[in-house]
Amino acid sequence: MSVATSAVATKPLRKRFNAGALPWIGPAIAVIVLMVLYPAYTMIKTSFMNIDETGTSHGFTGLSNYRTLFHNPNLVPVLERTLIWTVSVVFFTVIISLPVAQVLHAKFPGRRLVRYALIVPWAASVVMTSTSWLWILNGYYGVLNRIMLSLGLIKDQVQFLGSPTQSFAWLILVAVFVSVPFTTYVILAGLTTVGEDIMEASTVDGASGWQRYKHITFPLLRPALLISMVINLINVFNSFPIIWVMTTGGPGYSTDTTTTLAYKITFRSADIGQSASMATINFAIILVFIALFLKVSRWKEND
Amino acid sequence: MKKFTRVSAIAASLALGTSMAIGVTASHAAGTTLTMIAADYPGDGSTQQAQWTDFATRFHAANPDITVNVTVKSWNDIDQYVATQIAAGKTPDVVNKGDYSAPAAAGLLYPASQMVSASTLADILPTFLNNSKYNGTVYALPDLASARALFYNKDLLTKAGVTKLPTTWSQLYTVLGQIHRKLPGVYGYALPLGPEEAQAEFNIWAGGNGGQYYDYATSKWVLNSAANVATATYLKSLVSKGYTEPNPDKCDRTACAQALFAAGKAVFINGSVFLGSWLKSNGGAKINFGTGSFVSNTGHKAVTLGVQDYFTAYKANGNQAAIQKWMDFIFQPANYAKFLVAAGGFIPATKSAGAKAASDPALAPFIKLLPNAVFYPGDIASWNAVKGQIQQGIGQAVTGNPNSVLNSLQTQAAAAK
Repeated sequence: MSVATSAVATKPLRKRFNAGALPWIGPAIAVIVLMVLYPAYTMIKTSFMNIDETGTSHGFTGLSNYRTLFHNPNLVPVLERTLIWTVSVVFFTVIISLPVAQVLHAKFPGRRLVRYALIVPWAASVVMTSTSWLWILNGYYGVLNRIMLSLGLIKDQVQFLGSPTQSFAWLILVAVFVSVPFTTYVILAGLTTVGEDIMEASTVDGASGWQRYKHITFPLLRPALLISMVINLINVFNSFPIIWVMTTGGPGYSTDTTTTLAYKITFRSADIGQSASMATINFAIILVFIALFLKVSRWKEND
Repeated sequence: MKKFTRVSAIAASLALGTSMAIGVTASHAAGTTLTMIAADYPGDGSTQQAQWTDFATRFHAANPDITVNVTVKSWNDIDQYVATQIAAGKTPDVVNKGDYSAPAAAGLLYPASQMVSASTLADILPTFLNNSKYNGTVYALPDLASARALFYNKDLLTKAGVTKLPTTWSQLYTVLGQIHRKLPGVYGYALPLGPEEAQAEFNIWAGGNGGQYYDYATSKWVLNSAANVATATYLKSLVSKGYTEPNPDKCDRTACAQALFAAGKAVFINGSVFLGSWLKSNGGAKINFGTGSFVSNTGHKAVTLGVQDYFTAYKANGNQAAIQKWMDFIFQPANYAKFLVAAGGFIPATKSAGAKAASDPALAPFIKLLPNAVFYPGDIASWNAVKGQIQQGIGQAVTGNPNSVLNSLQTQAAAAK
């Protein structure tokens, strides 16, 4: 008892914080342990185990799952594609969101309505959005084919999701469509922090519109932009539903990313161990992204 | 402190004793509970749940000490569901789905001789039992089977001026060319090499050229055999001429190929026993179709694909006696007939029901083709994994480079456990 009291006396804040906060942070800790740490632990453990397709475990096999994965002929193209996918979706999202946010920041009649409208693709379930696009693009009955035929833009029906390159381009387009609202809102929030007085002052100093944007608005937007980019990187990298609903990664494996490949290895090729090692590598890549995110946040704090 | 421990120990042991006692009485009163997971056959929107509930209710009435819980799952979900149940330690007693070799190889299954009584086993057609073996022992009971036939749209053939059905690859090539010229917007052959059932479509074509997936003589996967490469090359020639729908590697059987046939946009299609009834409930009621034998390359016999599914019984819960009673109940002729009706027009796996089916006009053409049926190498433990790889990849053999695609599939199959 006496020892405890002296500890409280020397480090009062810390000690009291630990004991007192536990009931409050307990549920959060429990959720993190049960829903994040335990599954991650199981995933990593599984990647070192030999589990057959019936779900029976045959014990540890060392690195053999990783060896199988590295010999998988689809791995390298899929990794390359995942990089293209993530970078291009995030790039186009930001490029489109910047002007859109600028428009929504300006005052015009009906702005509130336009702002609400932009939330719709964000609020709608991604599976729902992707399913709509799947049917819009359908090669036999799709409405896009109908419109383009009527306008005389095409002579024959086009299988928009037929060839690997074309369907991958459509996937990127849909992913950008789904990511733009969130990004726009983050940038919009950033824009509201840009003080009116600075803008007025620069106008008085004779700065043109573009100069004001380049030298004042854009630099002040950097924190918002970085955060939205990192969150988007993580989201897009892990994105499963758009690809799965629209192409199931096909034809073949030609529109798969690492996430859909991991799913296919389990549920199509019935190789749970190899899939777990794919998921573990995915997890490692995401950890790098998160480390980046933390660094970015701290950079903002110090600023 | 000591006292507390002793009290709690007594309490614990009491609690344990009580629960054990309850456990014993409970099992005496309730008897055995069997869990069964069954795939849902009907493709017309109905389900087999009612049939299985009826079976379970009547079985329980006749055997009050055995309760059967049947979970019906769609074909899309069942493999994953069964694997998850096993991994979670909730191994079912009976499963009804399309494969058996992996659990048989893992030593999880009762042999068929312990699943049913000798008299029931004697009623099952030997052809189907032969396809249910692992290492020489029958580990699964065939529940039913299906076969494929070449379906054709009679009206479209007349419009295109085709009077004689093709029997060889070169004749088919000519006929498809004629259709292509005379009927713009109509595809000669609907070629579903998308993931849903690419393994079936390719197996039939390869079979007509003497090709196969697995060579039993050398115990090796032979996906890139010369016969298979030649098959893919022939199909690629049809695709590049526009004789099939574009992008066959994206074309799934139901949503694409059968839908094209139902819409009168495809002349020939590989159809299963249930395609006729499927057309009726999917907008193709007006299609005037005929069925015939598949085509083959010169010098080879035309084949059909026989597909059989299985009942398997798991040892994990040790309910062998109860399982046997339940399986015998399912195979009683009156019950088995109900099962076939609920599943929707398949070929029966028993001699007694098979005799009746031969006179059924809807099934007769398929039963006639059965002697030339090839089956999947379902008795090879890695078949399920290889099947998944074929489904994903083989479509690209007819849109890309046949050689390299089949070589890549062969490498993956050889590595599959």
